[in-house]
Amino acid sequence: MASVSINQVTKQFGAVSVIRGANLHVEDGELVVFVGPSGCGKSTLLRMIAGLEDISSGDIHIGDTMVNDIEPGDRGVAMVFQSYALYPHMSVQQNMSFGLRMNGNEKADTERRVQTAAKVLQLKPLLARLPKQLSGGQRQRVAIGRAIVREPQVFLFDEPLSNLDAELRVQMRVEIARLHKELQATMIYVTHDQTEAMTLADRIVVLRDGLIEQVGSPLELYHNPANAFVAGFIGSPRINFFTGVATEYAEGHQLVQLSGRGSAVAKVATTEALPSGTLIKVGVRPEHFEIGGACGFPIKVDVVEQLGSVSYLYADTTSEYPLIVARQDDGDHRSDELTISIRAGKALLFGADGNRLR
Amino acid sequence: MRRRNLTAYGFLSPYLLIFAAFWLWPIIYSFYLSFLSTRRAPWTFNPSMTWLRITQDTAFYNALWNTLKILAIQVPAMVFLATVLAVLLNSQLLRARGLIRFAFFAPVVIGEAAYAAVFRLMFNTDFGIVNKTLQAIGLSKVDWFANPSAAMSLIIMAVTWRWVGYNAIIILSGLQSIQTDVYEAATLERVSPRQQFFHITLPLLRPVLVFCFVLSVIGSMQLFAEPYLITNMGGPGGATETLGLFLYRQGFLNLNFGYASAIAYTIAALAVAISALNMWIGRDRT
Ligand SMILES: Nc1ncnc2c1ncn2[C@@H]1O[C@H](COP(=O)(O)OP(=O)(O)O)[C@@H](O)[C@H]1O
Ligand SMILES: [Mg+2]
Repeated sequence: MASVSINQVTKQFGAVSVIRGANLHVEDGELVVFVGPSGCGKSTLLRMIAGLEDISSGDIHIGDTMVNDIEPGDRGVAMVFQSYALYPHMSVQQNMSFGLRMNGNEKADTERRVQTAAKVLQLKPLLARLPKQLSGGQRQRVAIGRAIVREPQVFLFDEPLSNLDAELRVQMRVEIARLHKELQATMIYVTHDQTEAMTLADRIVVLRDGLIEQVGSPLELYHNPANAFVAGFIGSPRINFFTGVATEYAEGHQLVQLSGRGSAVAKVATTEALPSGTLIKVGVRPEHFEIGGACGFPIKVDVVEQLGSVSYLYADTTSEYPLIVARQDDGDHRSDELTISIRAGKALLFGADGNRLR
Repeated sequence: MRRRNLTAYGFLSPYLLIFAAFWLWPIIYSFYLSFLSTRRAPWTFNPSMTWLRITQDTAFYNALWNTLKILAIQVPAMVFLATVLAVLLNSQLLRARGLIRFAFFAPVVIGEAAYAAVFRLMFNTDFGIVNKTLQAIGLSKVDWFANPSAAMSLIIMAVTWRWVGYNAIIILSGLQSIQTDVYEAATLERVSPRQQFFHITLPLLRPVLVFCFVLSVIGSMQLFAEPYLITNMGGPGGATETLGLFLYRQGFLNLNFGYASAIAYTIAALAVAISALNMWIGRDRT
């Protein structure tokens, strides 16, 4: 196993900058997830680590070795593709052993590694099958098995679960988490699905337009996003944003008057006072509202999602981002008109540039 | 449902009628003809003048032998060349891809007479560019039309030139149907490009290659235009006479339709047999 270091890495396709200066250190044995909207450069960054794309500038180290000019096959990385990329004409057994066989690995050792991987992934009964005779989840397990038998320094996953249905996705997610624990391996995992990122990652790297927006543990990103983009991307259901105007500052708390919400006020802990009248963005997670309260505002519930342990009330459903409020009871709140307020100290403040005001 | 079917057949009927009149009926009728002696009127039932004769006719065996020789050399050589061309055409490094693809396809759409005339000129014994070039690099000139083996190789070269691009395009489409990430996965597994070609590309191309083989076998069994137009009707002295040409000679020069029909059925049977052998050798063994 090895660490991975990315220093000032950029990537241009012709005139287009796809990665605009990335810096990251992945610890030995860590599971790091790259997450971000489609087209933000996650795959490109991963493929540069693998050596499938050239690096325009900067350098990448795997362990102590600078790998910029090292062939993909010599970097000690194994990759699992979204499309599985299995060899269609080879059986499961042959798919897993192909790379080792081509490199003249000792036969008995190859066989031992294939059997071990097949056991870990419950592929033993399927060893003689062709990829086309497998289900999506089984194919993905074969692809993972093919990576395991190489005993790589670093595992790379590029959206490995996005071709699977929801139930299988959850199951495979757990399986990958278990593998990470069992193998103690360094893993870099790409996904556009923030739930996958939250549940799998030791640390999450949020990317947008070729820039790393924030790096941190799932809960760090959830509770302490560096900017409005990260706050909006991490968390499901989505955080609610309001616009507001800074008013008073008292006892370490900034008061913000929400625009268009009557007399509603948010009270947020910050280190210093904002000039009165500053326009700001207020982010409130669905569970950070309470029903009633002194400085609240009225809402009309249009839709309710009852998930059992929690219910989500949706208001303003005609706007692009409806207002979402979590409620811990089982009542049917459809068509309810209620007053809600923001729990003291729970809102997040963002400046006009989207950066967090602390 | 019934009515819809009727409408469908109504639209199909012009084609079906033409197919029946000009394909199906001749096929059936020529089978009947193949049992008749048609050397003089009236035609009489006499298979010994057709089916028995074919087993004893040295001219038939000569044509069969020539055809098999061409088939055995030309088809594998051409499919091999076509595969190489297709791999080159598929290369990321290649520029002007569309133009080159067109250039490879062009020989197929050129008229046979025009292409034969150009080959006759190029291989002309005294002033053709091929012999001029051979002499320029210090070799002796070859009498392409009078020397039996030279004439045979001329036919093989001409047919290969004409069809190699066509087959390359078919193989190219096979190459392009292979997912690129399969190669990326192999590259990451330290599998060399050479190993990738032999262990991934070729096996995945097998159905397409078998298709090309079968197509070319059928084409070679019917080979006619090249020996007719380039080597002066199978010359020298029948050295390039093919089954197609032999059939034409019996049917349309000697007007012996019964014998020609028997030859036609023999050619078809051989084509089916050899193609089936091809498919059996190239079958999916997994
Ligand atoms: N080979 C390429 N040539 C040109 N542009 C590319 C190439 N590969 C990716 N891109 C562009 O780079 C951007 C990032 O792509 P990618 O890394 O695949 O995004 P993600 O995986 O985050 O969805 C996209 O805008 C994409 O169009
Ligand atoms: Mg991607």
